[in-house]
Amino acid sequence: MGASSADVGTAAGVETPTARPPAEARWRRLLPWAAGVLVLLACFGLQTQLYTGQERTVTTIFMFVALAQAWNIIGGFTGYASFGQVVFFGLGGYTTATLMYHLQVNFWLALVVSGLVAAAFGALIGLPLLRLKGHYFAIATLGVAEGMREVVTNLPDITGGGAGITIPTVGAKASTPYLGNDGFYVLFLVLAALAVLVGGLVSRSKFGFALRAINQDEDAAGSMGINTTRAKVTAFALSGFLVGLVGASYAFQQVTIFPERLFDVDITVLMVVMVVIGGSGTVLGPLLGAVALQYLSEYLRQHYTEMHTFILGAIIIVAVILLPQGVVNYAREAARTRQFSLLRNVRRYRL
Amino acid sequence: MSGGDAAESPVLDVRGLGRRFGGLRALADVSFTVPRGRTLGIIGPNGAGKSTFINLVTGHLRPTSGRVFIDGRDMTGARPWSVARAGVARTFQIVKPFRGMTVRENVAIGLLYGPAGTGVMSHALSAADEVLEQVGLGPLGDRAPGELTVADARRLELAKALALRPRLLLLDEVMAGLQNRAIEPSLAVIRSLKEQGMTIVAVEHVMKAILAISDEVLVLHQGRVLTSGTPETVLADPEVIEAYLGHRYAKRQREVSPDA
Repeated sequence: MGASSADVGTAAGVETPTARPPAEARWRRLLPWAAGVLVLLACFGLQTQLYTGQERTVTTIFMFVALAQAWNIIGGFTGYASFGQVVFFGLGGYTTATLMYHLQVNFWLALVVSGLVAAAFGALIGLPLLRLKGHYFAIATLGVAEGMREVVTNLPDITGGGAGITIPTVGAKASTPYLGNDGFYVLFLVLAALAVLVGGLVSRSKFGFALRAINQDEDAAGSMGINTTRAKVTAFALSGFLVGLVGASYAFQQVTIFPERLFDVDITVLMVVMVVIGGSGTVLGPLLGAVALQYLSEYLRQHYTEMHTFILGAIIIVAVILLPQGVVNYAREAARTRQFSLLRNVRRYRL
Repeated sequence: MSGGDAAESPVLDVRGLGRRFGGLRALADVSFTVPRGRTLGIIGPNGAGKSTFINLVTGHLRPTSGRVFIDGRDMTGARPWSVARAGVARTFQIVKPFRGMTVRENVAIGLLYGPAGTGVMSHALSAADEVLEQVGLGPLGDRAPGELTVADARRLELAKALALRPRLLLLDEVMAGLQNRAIEPSLAVIRSLKEQGMTIVAVEHVMKAILAISDEVLVLHQGRVLTSGTPETVLADPEVIEAYLGHRYAKRQREVSPDA
């Protein structure tokens, strides 16, 4: 390449022919959506083939697909690794539990309110925290989640404190009948589908381009006309909204919730690991990462009862060393450059 | 710059602009105006405050004193995106491509978020191709920015700025690191922008480039304006040559004819 600059003088208004044939381009754009609908239908079909234990396992997989997809919006696209994302999970769960316990609010209304509360909280803490970068942002968000757990623990009149709070599911105080295994399977499947849909829409939108630009260089993004503050806070709130919905559903599924479980840092870590292994900043990556890791975790737990955490940890370490950019990003680069060597991949990322 | 018409406010008007970093005075009391369609070259040694000046205009830094007017509007301390939407585009001295996007998508960002921002991705992408054509990157739209040569990466930086359809273009060393052969095409792009009536402020170390494009040259030294005037008078100023560009430059000027 180089100086193809003989005709640089020609000014505006040059019609450039489109490089790709539009029909093919349209098909390629529709393909992921079609695949998504098929997978969604397959998941409904799968439900009829599962017995109770399996159904609960798959439900948990759906939950983590939604969580990983939500984390990817702020951590993957925008590049702000939040280590306190569980704060939205806990906030959503406790909003639903307190609304249903104290005010007998219908679950579906409580679900929406929980999402909005989480989003509003995200915007509120995002304004100051998103001025921090890298490790500082990670530590600050971690601190917010830990702090929120203590706040919830120390408001026993509202939240039940450390003894937990139980959502009424039977009797006159039950505002919404318990959904049961089949109901929660569908609920978490819909949440996972919603999260993937949001991820896909963000990825292709003008907003998604802004987030990716911010991820690469915030000064440059600003000078291209992107309101970086607004884009970052919106991404954080959107991610929080999705996580809040999942937390609310989880609280209803568990019936009795405790601060330790709902603000458990492990949930955040799982989101991060799933996204990083699957492929940060992609739509497919968090989906694959969540399914693979949660399935693997369950498989190991059943077959290696005593060693499962150790084996899972070892697998994660090997995966991160071999594929530091995640499976999906590796596959894309390999397909483009025709270089499939994992060793070369490790060298390229200087690990 | 002198002689702005009273009828039209200058595109860029800075008054008493200054910036301190703690005890260090990076820039102090810089005042000048750039009328529409003119090109101002800013020169000065490392640390003279050239990049600080650009960052103060674009909102990447807040001035500690003075004011910045764009087209007569007070934009002092405005955030970078507000300045960009007011019609000011810049390049960065160290190129800042958005990795993970194609060259075309890099340029499309400015068309999506710039002053004439469109919400339609396909429009932005086809308009991006036009901008790439304009800077001579036409065939490279599908490449990753990391695959570009140094010269092409600098052109991408320029294309990203032009995607904003700016009224004022701030160039922070767009020629830096380029070989002689690569400078000429970039100069041709800037000349054609001048012909279209673009107002340009160019910070540059490459004297050949400054001479070729500037209507007026301003010399910064230790954060202050040392002198300003036409390129010929400024570069012939013995104070400038001695105190600043050094003996070697003076000697080379005698050997090479400055008709480039």
